[in-house]
Amino acid sequence: MGNNLLEVKDLSVVLDGKHIIQNISFGLRSQEVLAVIGPNGAGKSALLKTITGIVKKTSGEVVFAPGVKIGYLPQRFHVDFYLPMTVKEFLRLKPDHKYSLGEVLKLVDIPEIWLNQNLATFSSGQLQKILLAWAIIDQPDILLFDEPTENVDIVSQESIYDLLHELQDALGISVIIVSHDLNVVYKYANAVLCLNEKMLCYGEPSSLTNETLSALYGDHAFFHHHHFGEHRNTNNENGETLGSPSSINSND
Amino acid sequence: MNLFALTVLSGIFVAAASGLVGSFLILRRMALMSDAMSHVALPGIAVGVLLRFNPLLGGLAFLFLGVLLIWLIETKTKLAAESVTGVMFVTALAIGALLIPQQDLLEAFFGSVEKITATQLLFQTLIAVGIIAFILVFMKKLTLFSIAPDLATSIKLSPVKLELVLLTLIALTITIGISFVGILLMSAIAIMPAAAARNLARSFTQFIALSVTLAAVSLTAGLVIGFFYPSLNPGVVTVLASSLLFLISLIR
Repeated sequence: MGNNLLEVKDLSVVLDGKHIIQNISFGLRSQEVLAVIGPNGAGKSALLKTITGIVKKTSGEVVFAPGVKIGYLPQRFHVDFYLPMTVKEFLRLKPDHKYSLGEVLKLVDIPEIWLNQNLATFSSGQLQKILLAWAIIDQPDILLFDEPTENVDIVSQESIYDLLHELQDALGISVIIVSHDLNVVYKYANAVLCLNEKMLCYGEPSSLTNETLSALYGDHAFFHHHHFGEHRNTNNENGETLGSPSSINSND
Repeated sequence: MNLFALTVLSGIFVAAASGLVGSFLILRRMALMSDAMSHVALPGIAVGVLLRFNPLLGGLAFLFLGVLLIWLIETKTKLAAESVTGVMFVTALAIGALLIPQQDLLEAFFGSVEKITATQLLFQTLIAVGIIAFILVFMKKLTLFSIAPDLATSIKLSPVKLELVLLTLIALTITIGISFVGILLMSAIAIMPAAAARNLARSFTQFIALSVTLAAVSLTAGLVIGFFYPSLNPGVVTVLASSLLFLISLIR
């Protein structure tokens, strides 16, 4: 597998007779940031979950280099409103801490006062930071980040990406980001994988062509304005970006 | 030590074990599971009564069969475990009621504290201590599995195994709880204390501690009041004490 931390070969997942992802192959190098993009229902989250082991693969291989540890941030983390658990207690559920609680809070920019507050009192954006702390506290080599699609406002989404970027710089970890937002690719990634059940592209962000993107999302007219960041004020109430790839060719 | 003191002491351990197991059932939103599953013990108790061996051993055997069945259905098929449990428990109840003499049926339903022997108390206490020790050792894993199965999988815990562990703990808890409160009233020491604890607790540690304490207080109240007023069934008094504590937790 060369210098890769992770090697995915011909990975396919079939659930209830439906192909979720088909023949996905890619490698992840040390310190690489790979963005997986595609419309809703394209199998992006399923790909991450298969790498994590939450979803069982039907065929193909997921091979980690020896000793490689992953940190996973799920798309949704449902906290029961009545769940009696403080942030400190939640973070302590993870074994093998490599950072102290104080250190990890500094890394993800969380005030220490949060530690004794109840998980249920935080907004989804704040919860995501807490999850990020959970994910990195045992010093993983690869961070798997599944972008939330609901209830997270654009501002906190931007800040979480900036945070990921800083962490990646500071800790030298590799990251796989699942996103429906092309800005993420151009701003943070050094590799991109286009997914719509099958792999439609894989390479450097600069190699993304309009043809690939229109094959991926069905319509490319919006791209001329999309990645200049104008989408920030075109949020609908679901937190989906209007005119973003996902809302144009949503297939779920 | 006289038998009553031994009964109360044993009851405190049994209630503590129930309170602990109940906490995880509340977290997993399986509150009615212990209630439904306890009915599965009835045919086993009936077999014990008819063939003149300890009815609780028969109950335990049937509970284990029930656990395996629920677990296999949950993990190997796409059937909803809840509906299968529903079918199973009424069927077991009917078969048990058919086999068992009237007087024994009432005792199985509402408990029969006065009939517990010192040897049985000793065994129940030992099993309770075993359950408590096991949960304390695996507390973090069971907690993570209960609140976020995906995160548990991502750190290489097996939800399938943990589910079997939890179901087995339920079966053992029911077995040692039946002689105190009976099949119908198991929730008094398994679910209600944990539900009340959740209303009151501000952290997970408080939740667990309160759940155990409230279960022990309820059962002790039942046993003591039943001892001084022999016309009152200790199991029924335990339920009422537990309900009262739950009501108080609501108006905190």
